[in-house]
Amino acid sequence: MNIVVCLKQVPKKDSILRIAADQKWIDERDLSYEMSEADAYALEEALRQKEKHGGEVIVISLGPERVRQSIKEALAKGADRAIHLNDPAFDQATDAAAIARALAAALKDEKFDLIFTGLQSDDYGFAQVGLILAEQLNLPSATIVMEVQPEQGNVRVKRELESGWFQWVRTPMPALLTIQSGINQLRYATLKGIMAAKKKEIRDVKAADLGLMAEDLKPAQTIERAYLPEKTKRTEMIEGKPAEAAAKLIEKLRFDARVI
Amino acid sequence: MSEGILLFIEQRDGVLNRTSYEAMVAAQRIAAETGDKISAVVLGSGVSNVASDVAKKKVEVVYTVEDGKLAEYTPDGYTAALRRVVEKLNPRYVILSHTYQVRDFAPRLTSALGKSFVPDCIGFRVDGSEVVFTRQIFQGKITTDVRVSAEPPVFASFQAGAYRADLAEAGDAAASVEALQVDLSDVTIRTQPEEKFQEAKQAVDLSQAPLIVAVGRGIKSQENIAIIEELAKALGAEIAASRPICDNEWLPMDRQIGSSGQTVSPKLYLAVGISGAIQHVVGMKNSQTIVAINKDPEAPIFDIADYGIVGDLFEIVPALTGEIRKAKE
Amino acid sequence: MIERETLEMDVLLVGAGPANLSCALHLSKLIEAHNKSAKEAGGKPLDEISIAVIEKAKEIGAHQLSGAVLDPISMKELIPDFENEGAPLEAPVGDEKVYFLTERGKISAPIIPPPLRNHGNYVVSLNRLVRWMGEKCEEAGVNIFPEFPGAHMLYDGETVTGVRTGDKGIDKNGKAKPNFEPGVDIVAKVTVLGEGVRGSLTKQLVDRLNLDRESDPQVYSVGIKELWEVPDDRFPPGSVIHTLGWPLDPHTFGGSWVYGMRDRIIDIGLAVGLDYRDPHLDPHHEFQRFKTHPLIAELLKDGKMVRYGAKAMPVGGWYTMPQMTADGVMIIGDSAGMLNGERLKGIHTAIKAGMLAAETILESLIAGDYSRAKLGAFDKRLKESYIGRELYKTRNFHQAFDKGRMLGLVTAGISTVTGGRLPRRLPIKAGHQHMQKLSTPDGQGKADRYAGLKYDDKLTFNKLTDVYYSSTHHEEDQPSHLKVVDLNICVDRCTAEYGNPCENFCPANVYEMVETGDGNRRLQVNFSNCVHCKTCDIMDPYQIINWVPPEGGGGPNYRNM
Repeated sequence: MNIVVCLKQVPKKDSILRIAADQKWIDERDLSYEMSEADAYALEEALRQKEKHGGEVIVISLGPERVRQSIKEALAKGADRAIHLNDPAFDQATDAAAIARALAAALKDEKFDLIFTGLQSDDYGFAQVGLILAEQLNLPSATIVMEVQPEQGNVRVKRELESGWFQWVRTPMPALLTIQSGINQLRYATLKGIMAAKKKEIRDVKAADLGLMAEDLKPAQTIERAYLPEKTKRTEMIEGKPAEAAAKLIEKLRFDARVI
Repeated sequence: MSEGILLFIEQRDGVLNRTSYEAMVAAQRIAAETGDKISAVVLGSGVSNVASDVAKKKVEVVYTVEDGKLAEYTPDGYTAALRRVVEKLNPRYVILSHTYQVRDFAPRLTSALGKSFVPDCIGFRVDGSEVVFTRQIFQGKITTDVRVSAEPPVFASFQAGAYRADLAEAGDAAASVEALQVDLSDVTIRTQPEEKFQEAKQAVDLSQAPLIVAVGRGIKSQENIAIIEELAKALGAEIAASRPICDNEWLPMDRQIGSSGQTVSPKLYLAVGISGAIQHVVGMKNSQTIVAINKDPEAPIFDIADYGIVGDLFEIVPALTGEIRKAKE
Repeated sequence: MIERETLEMDVLLVGAGPANLSCALHLSKLIEAHNKSAKEAGGKPLDEISIAVIEKAKEIGAHQLSGAVLDPISMKELIPDFENEGAPLEAPVGDEKVYFLTERGKISAPIIPPPLRNHGNYVVSLNRLVRWMGEKCEEAGVNIFPEFPGAHMLYDGETVTGVRTGDKGIDKNGKAKPNFEPGVDIVAKVTVLGEGVRGSLTKQLVDRLNLDRESDPQVYSVGIKELWEVPDDRFPPGSVIHTLGWPLDPHTFGGSWVYGMRDRIIDIGLAVGLDYRDPHLDPHHEFQRFKTHPLIAELLKDGKMVRYGAKAMPVGGWYTMPQMTADGVMIIGDSAGMLNGERLKGIHTAIKAGMLAAETILESLIAGDYSRAKLGAFDKRLKESYIGRELYKTRNFHQAFDKGRMLGLVTAGISTVTGGRLPRRLPIKAGHQHMQKLSTPDGQGKADRYAGLKYDDKLTFNKLTDVYYSSTHHEEDQPSHLKVVDLNICVDRCTAEYGNPCENFCPANVYEMVETGDGNRRLQVNFSNCVHCKTCDIMDPYQIINWVPPEGGGGPNYRNM
């Protein structure tokens, strides 16, 4: 069973983010990057499926040179080969549709049974790239997947619904699944794996190789302004003896804030 | 020429998802500024009750699309049906609530239509004839204003809690309910859903909890956690904690909020005996309403709280529990 | 019984800092040159030599923190065209000032004392510099393995045969988790310890082989540092201020630095000698007080603190350096105490030491002899190099401060003028032995030492807030990497004798005495706050804290520091 895993590299979770001078994005100087969390779980799930059922795990990532670090990590953990959409032409592809178009173009000639993505990235958090990719490649899809059971020609997956509800769905392969964070326990890259990864293929792909023009990668959404969440709150201090204060607070929560 | 706002109403087994009314508030407020008319659409099989409920609200018309292929939600069925609806009605905006179901089909739908979809919005601003959407990135650390350059319809989904469902305006008279005829005979449903089921999650996902009572080191000892548990129980809230509590193993690690724990934004975050170290605050500061109870009036938690009580938590917490029980009787 | 894999390398370097990266890079160049000339002369080239660097940080440079002003003397030898090869230099040192501070005022030094003269040097971020050196090493074919700390030395008899890396996936009770990954035995012909200050493997090795039998105990300082972004060009890149005096008391060695970096960043820090007397002293708090001095407060006005970090440094110098080689092993850089305490500079010495180590290793590889007899050439090489001469000249610098700052300034002054010559070698004791008990006049100090210090979250920050700005992260579910040998001492003796100074000297809020609920107190170790500065291992008066590396990848994530 061959599985493609779409990886995105994002600033580390505990990064202290600052707004760039043009107020349209974050200041990217002196940031550390890592594999987006849900994508790391998607990769882990793919590796586990490969260990059970054989086949190949192919990782694909779009981004500048620094992304290679995450690609290498994936190869060190056991992915077999990688495709890196590495071209300044891709820099403008900042909305989900543009990114998905590039990925679709790169994957249309690959042979695979499943594509995994994380359910959403830790930066933009669109939760769209996977599904747009599925639509473009005409694949069935399932999102927020908690468990994957391949069957003959089909895959049966457990989806998370809201408020503690779940549902199994069955879909023919090839299919695209978006993987929920925390569905497995991530492995560590081993020294041997890191050494072995040095010999694995990372194919650099340019926009022109995919027949993509600047127009194809143009985003339809642009960030007009990026800013730190505004604090508009004024703290209302509630005075009085404990019993009084408690009664006042509950009243406020019920009738002013209406949260209980 | 596109016109109007189409509001997607989500239902499951004939029960309306309340977050659709939150999205309705967003749609009504956009409409108030742009002058657009709102129509709502409900898909499924046997959805007339839901449709007539929605028709009581201030909307122009409620469309229903009934088909056997829509009886059970599937991404293929919903994508195909809504694609036809949107093509037929040609609205300027399609507004949805950012639920798990919407996340499962809306990106496919917008891709099939070649349209742009701004997901998980928390607000908007009307600029001339255009709507600029506000959404957060980097898990709430940064807010952005997003402009869409694509041809309408423009799709946008709103985050749960961004608007209050009870503020959805009622109409002067019931809106008309119209059945839209959509031919799905050539649509293949590829995914086969099984029965839904409930199960206790292995890991606690506090990010979905609407109400959270969080306890910090002001509680002093493990035995005292009991009073917090009672408060949480009375409220129907999840219990959470700041780091020292979990370090001491007074509560399990998966209850920890903050930079080394979970990030949450519930409707109510009640912080008891939590001083508000930055490591904790980054995990909860986007909560809708924050209440802080602390004996130290200088505690930084009060800087981000909506309501604050300075005092002895051992007196205030039991009093609160009592008041809540009274209120619920 | 855990099954461990073995990985064979020719040369293994522990710690990706300036010393080891310089060694790895220089060695690969020397091997290439050797093979080329051997081929031309019809001699025997070396077989392919595998060089590996292991590093505990998540990525190269993430645990590197220094002032820093770089004396380029050795970088010019390692990478002659370093400026054009993209070395991340902030700026050449420009305007230089030295002040002696009083609480509200300052006295300018009429001339810059020679050890603090920095003309021809560069303001750098060590973290950036090391990251760049790492890239150079990878280009040269060196294997670099971040997230792999060295846990134990491997021996055959008394010969070092390599290093066992740390296990991964152990829970807080010491049990294997499902993703458990045992450490690997990396065996090598030569193991080079360049772990930085107070290296945990160096400590094991020096103890076992008694390598410090002829040296004085090392003494340390801890540097507390913040980066500030200011709204204008008030302090241009390359500007340098050093201060002595306030806020440190006369019994405390130390001083501050303020360096101008690019992009309106000001690098500001305070070094505090870890041989102070008052157990109440808190280096982090001293630094916060320092920033309230009018000179500094004005400089930082309307600025924003963007990063925080702390790191100890060895300042004992010449007489504290251990025997640096033994069978199969070498110790270089800060691990061997090669920092010049008078100039507070150790990067240039580390780089040079790495190069000299590489030259020695090449000879060993050619001879096929990795014994102390062969590797011992390094000790001699180093001591005869310009680094050796520099360190020898300042051999009595810190020792002069052993008796307090005023006397020390005079003695160190004489020492500087005379090229280190003092009538006799000054005696020295370990830093923690200077700490006075609460019952002594010096130890009473002032429990209210920091009463006037308020944290306004603008200019001054409490420890926990500062730690947040170090981007420190550890896997939470793992055993504490700060091994307190006997927790009873904390309660039974330390509280009464010293007042639990671990709460004070740790700049990251790791150690906390907490109420147990039954009226007793106990030590709580918040290990995941640890910024890997090593101060606790150094300064604990009972020497019951043993710092060992946590699971690979844990620790601060320094950027631009």
